[in-house]
Amino acid sequence: METLIQSLVSGVLTGSLYAMIGVGLTVVFGVMRIINMAHGDLVMLGMYGAFWAHVGARVDPFLSIVVWMPLMFLFGMAIHRFLLRKVVLGGELNTLLYTAGLSLFIANLALFVWTGDYRTIKLSYAVMPLRPFDIAVPIPLAISFGLAIVITVALYWLLARTDMGRAIRATSQDAEAAALMGVNVERTATITFGLGTALAGGAGVLLAPSLYLYPTVGEILVAKCFVIVVLGGLGSVPGAIAGGILLGIIESLGAVYVSVAYKDLIGFVIFLLVLLLRPAGLFGVGKS
Amino acid sequence: MRLPLALGVLAALAVAAPAIAQDTLKIGAPQPMTGPDAPFGDKFKKAYGLAAEEINAAGGINGRKLEVIIDDHQAKNPLAATVAEKLITQQKVLVLTGGRASGQAVEIASVAQRLKTPYMVDHPSADIITAKGFEWVFRNNPTGSIYPMAFNNFISEVPGAMPKSTAVVYDNTVFGKTIANSAMTFLKSRNVPIVADEAYPVNSLDFKPVMTKVKATNPDYLLLIAVATTDAILLTRHAKEIGVTPRAIVGFGGGFGVEDFAKELSQLADNVYSSAAWSGNPNDAATQAFYNKFHAKYGIYPKEHEVEGYAAIYIIADALKRATLTGKIEEDREAVRQALLKTELTTVFGKLKFGNWAGPLGDQYTNQNIYSPEHSVLAQWRGGKLLNVWPKANAEVAYVFPDPTLKR
Repeated sequence: METLIQSLVSGVLTGSLYAMIGVGLTVVFGVMRIINMAHGDLVMLGMYGAFWAHVGARVDPFLSIVVWMPLMFLFGMAIHRFLLRKVVLGGELNTLLYTAGLSLFIANLALFVWTGDYRTIKLSYAVMPLRPFDIAVPIPLAISFGLAIVITVALYWLLARTDMGRAIRATSQDAEAAALMGVNVERTATITFGLGTALAGGAGVLLAPSLYLYPTVGEILVAKCFVIVVLGGLGSVPGAIAGGILLGIIESLGAVYVSVAYKDLIGFVIFLLVLLLRPAGLFGVGKS
Repeated sequence: MRLPLALGVLAALAVAAPAIAQDTLKIGAPQPMTGPDAPFGDKFKKAYGLAAEEINAAGGINGRKLEVIIDDHQAKNPLAATVAEKLITQQKVLVLTGGRASGQAVEIASVAQRLKTPYMVDHPSADIITAKGFEWVFRNNPTGSIYPMAFNNFISEVPGAMPKSTAVVYDNTVFGKTIANSAMTFLKSRNVPIVADEAYPVNSLDFKPVMTKVKATNPDYLLLIAVATTDAILLTRHAKEIGVTPRAIVGFGGGFGVEDFAKELSQLADNVYSSAAWSGNPNDAATQAFYNKFHAKYGIYPKEHEVEGYAAIYIIADALKRATLTGKIEEDREAVRQALLKTELTTVFGKLKFGNWAGPLGDQYTNQNIYSPEHSVLAQWRGGKLLNVWPKANAEVAYVFPDPTLKR
């Protein structure tokens, strides 16, 4: 019983971070039909941001999110404005290839600048985990979990209550109709890409203290990302949140009750099954 | 008048040219200088550098200088083969050493065998490297299946230390599987139940699920086997976070013996054991002298890897001195191989004589150091330092057992 609860807790904690990465990807897809292959590398940039804030400026890595999310937002807008905007017109395959190239570029630039060394962030207050009811809850993951909830709620509020959010949702549902209603679709797309990038960067900052970082960590993350958004349905924000938490739990239970060697295999088998049987995602809300 | 002079100059050049080409004796060393294993590549670079410098300062090899050419394989197995071939065919090295990890060394060994170039393995430990019958491959360090021997002796010799049950978590590489197999074979022969047998892929980012599973089996001992330092660190951290409480956590593999392990884990590293190839007898005066020399030059004290790398250059230098070199590269490589076969030497690493014999799991070794079974040591982390605790003759400090920091 304790084992089951422990695996569920670990799964939900890790899953909350997966969810945050997935949401960034899904928002961008929903509005622009861009499958962003560079999403994992944007997460990686956030991780290095937290690392350098901690090592270079002695700022708590979690606190550095206040700086990195806005910066990543601007960075994402710049990528869209100067690089992606023209490519989007060429269709989905073009953006797929373009972002795949962007991914290689970012990862290799990082490899060049920061070398391939593995780095970790050491937090003096996070050596031993909390132990409520004998269930281990690592402190960095607990903090990340809390912040991920705050950020997700804020995103929800933004999408549901602000004009900008309404414009994003409208564009996502039908870009042409939105344009006819006076929504500046171009500007909305730029802002959405910035938003997706900020979410990726933010997730990176939150992940960094729990994982170790190296320039090509994005490869692993982007693969997980696709499982998450497909589970939840491409383009659906609640779907990505559910998909992220679900994947976290599946991986955790799979490693405990089947074998850690098959942890990733289980995730991908479910990914294939969902694609085959429910292409619109488990909840049937996505766009196939 | 002019013609004979020109001819004379030409003749002088013809004589001088091969002499210049032969000036240095080249040793090739594929090592990971970038990528995840770069810290290890750096250790070997320092060790080779110091050894070559000393040998050259003392007159070189019968008057000729020794040169160690390191080439980067980025810890990638296919690249290791490419780099080895490049060193042999383009750099024309006489002999190879290095390799760092077993996966890469297996590739290098195949290339060395094919291109008839001696390969003196200094650190890679998978049994298979010297168990394929390759007559061009030699190894000074113990094989993977010998790594757990000090641990096996510890649990056999210390009263009450024999495990009641054991959980074994290992990576699914050549190295991980060899060591896990060797450790589990011994434990089963002593009727110790293996309550968890978990293989994981290298560079897993999250070991909490495995440790949750391990915790449920409540093992008396936890054996962790990792070829990557990052895995060694995360395995230990997540075992302690999840609250696995064996009497001892024992690590196998380079990652459990490097400074980074203690630096990243701070107090979590305390009392973790590391069963590995040894780093020379620290109670021996010659080894102490080497430790001090190394510290004076680089500001750090050598461990397993540095000792092995340093010894490797001396072993090769010894063979080169005894070999009759003609300047024809193929013949010289064969001469070096013959000289290596006749090696009888004591280095900072310990005694060496290459021989053909059977390992603890029945593998037939070719050109494997016959003293290897004596070269396994059990060490324990204490306040950021890794100190030998078993066998008793090499102990620097008394062991702490059971581990009091793991509250049951």
